[in-house]
Amino acid sequence: MKKTIILSAVIAALAFSGCGSTGGGSSQNAVEKYGSDTLKFYNWGEYIGENVISDFEEEYGVKVISEYFDSNEMMYTKLQSGDSYDVIVPSDYMIERLIKEDMLQKLDLSLIPNMENLADGVKNLAFDPENEYSVPYFWGSVGIVYNHNNVPEEEVEEKGYSILKDTKYNGRIYMYDSERDSFMVALKSLGYSMNTDNEDEINEAYNWLVELNNTMSPVYVTDEVIDNMANGLMDMAVVYSGDAAYVLSENEDMSYSMPEEGTNIWVDSMVIPENAANPKLAHEFINYILSYDASYDNSETVGYASTNKDVLADMSGKGGEYEGNEAYLPRDNYAKDEVFRDNEFLRQKLSELWIKVKASK
Amino acid sequence: MKQFKSMAYPYIVWISLLIVVPMLLILVYAFTTTGNSVTTIKFSLANFAKFFSDVIFLDVLRRSLLIAVATTVVCIILGYPAAYIIANAEGRKKFMLILLVTIPTWINMLVRTYAWMGILQDDGIINTVLSFLGIGPFKMLHTSFAVILGMVYNFIPFMILQIYTSLTKMDKSLLEAASDLGANRVQAFLRVTLPLSLPGVISGITLVFLPAVSSFFIPKLLGGGQYVLIGNVIENQFLTSGNWNFGSAISLIMAVIIMISMYITKKIDKGESMEGGVKK
Repeated sequence: MKKTIILSAVIAALAFSGCGSTGGGSSQNAVEKYGSDTLKFYNWGEYIGENVISDFEEEYGVKVISEYFDSNEMMYTKLQSGDSYDVIVPSDYMIERLIKEDMLQKLDLSLIPNMENLADGVKNLAFDPENEYSVPYFWGSVGIVYNHNNVPEEEVEEKGYSILKDTKYNGRIYMYDSERDSFMVALKSLGYSMNTDNEDEINEAYNWLVELNNTMSPVYVTDEVIDNMANGLMDMAVVYSGDAAYVLSENEDMSYSMPEEGTNIWVDSMVIPENAANPKLAHEFINYILSYDASYDNSETVGYASTNKDVLADMSGKGGEYEGNEAYLPRDNYAKDEVFRDNEFLRQKLSELWIKVKASK
Repeated sequence: MKQFKSMAYPYIVWISLLIVVPMLLILVYAFTTTGNSVTTIKFSLANFAKFFSDVIFLDVLRRSLLIAVATTVVCIILGYPAAYIIANAEGRKKFMLILLVTIPTWINMLVRTYAWMGILQDDGIINTVLSFLGIGPFKMLHTSFAVILGMVYNFIPFMILQIYTSLTKMDKSLLEAASDLGANRVQAFLRVTLPLSLPGVISGITLVFLPAVSSFFIPKLLGGGQYVLIGNVIENQFLTSGNWNFGSAISLIMAVIIMISMYITKKIDKGESMEGGVKK
């Protein structure tokens, strides 16, 4: 069954790219067809299905070199210092910035027929209204994962983000080591927009985070949060929804809450940077990721909401891998939820203030 | 002689490309600010003003120096006896002991530090054993104890090997002379061995203190991001904030502090050996 789907995907891909030769397979063919047989893929850590890369390599006779980043800012610095990649998976606001700074190539959508598989919620978003530059990879929200044996559900629902400052849980919480997500938590808890450019509001959020840092001894983590919460090392953690979905599926003591104060709905999308060495193969790769099989493997392994509408429906539907998992599906149309926009003032303030938050004790 | 001189040229090219040029770049970055467009570079002391006018950064600097000093002291206390034992061991045993000290350095530092996370964490090896005995669990990971432990563990081979080298270079007949002149073993150690091994201790101090004061991944991993040290601030400026100017300025400040402390240790070194000379 799987074989035939893959086969038909190959045939479809070949048909669309207008190439008559039969099958991928050897790297010689790949060189002829794409100009090169290596693809440099710059992705988040722990963010791809188990077999996606190896399947792609086998089918197309190419080699994928993967590198990983753990924040958009880090990725940006690396890209700006001149490193060349073929496909990168930044988040919404970073894509907006990269577009503004002419660091991305316009996509040739005729090479990505699988665009039609995209779920409705992730298309034509404000950071790239026509999807000229970016193709959604995963999407989700940010929320709190908590151990419902130690932290009562009613308390989490009632207090929202401010439960992170409840000294009862001193030394028992993880914060995400990212300026955007931490300031989002603070700004939302204070009732402000996370896209604010009001300096007083930002400073208020800064003080909120400093107070949390000094009274709660939080541990700042990135991807370690996934395994550590799955092992139940702490009581609460600010996490991305997909990591939460994985944690929930591994440890039944854990629950997920998207606070009523609102949260960040984000979309990570595949883009091709201006200096890509192999844009043709990059298009092929993006198209491949959108296929049912690759999307399924991705979402099943990593736990983030798929951007492929069929996968999304199958995963969350009856008998699906994430049926009844409250962290899998992002919340729809909740007025207080926002998508991050690129805003230079906010960007500069946050990067200046974040290290000071962590150093304030 | 002359034909050997030309063999130094590749080294000079190497050193200027990889050390001098980057240092000059740091210097340029530290004293400038970039505007929005890439071409405008302005001379400015703003980066330094920003650092010294902020209590938080000064606090981080103080904390980094304290942790580095603590690490160095612990390394001396543990490293000296170890080096002494190795220096006085015989043949095969000596070889094995040296091997034991150096083997860990063959493995990547990052990997070894990750291993400590597994050992120290709340459900890690130590706490599992302790809970089996009915004690604990103790919170060890993400404390200053963990940070100093990680640094001592990573840097102590430098201290041991330096002291060991200076101990083996020592002329053993001096000790015989001391005992001939009526000194007991403790006196001989304090008056002869210790002063003669001080140069090893001093170079050990430089080799431990320097990486300890600028380390960023040990506090990040073992301190859980709660122990922000100066190395973390610099890393953040380069990797996350993209403010290379400020990052360079902090690096320069650190370089100056390190140069001053090296100058002081050199002074002490000279003073001590002179004193030793007079006493002899």
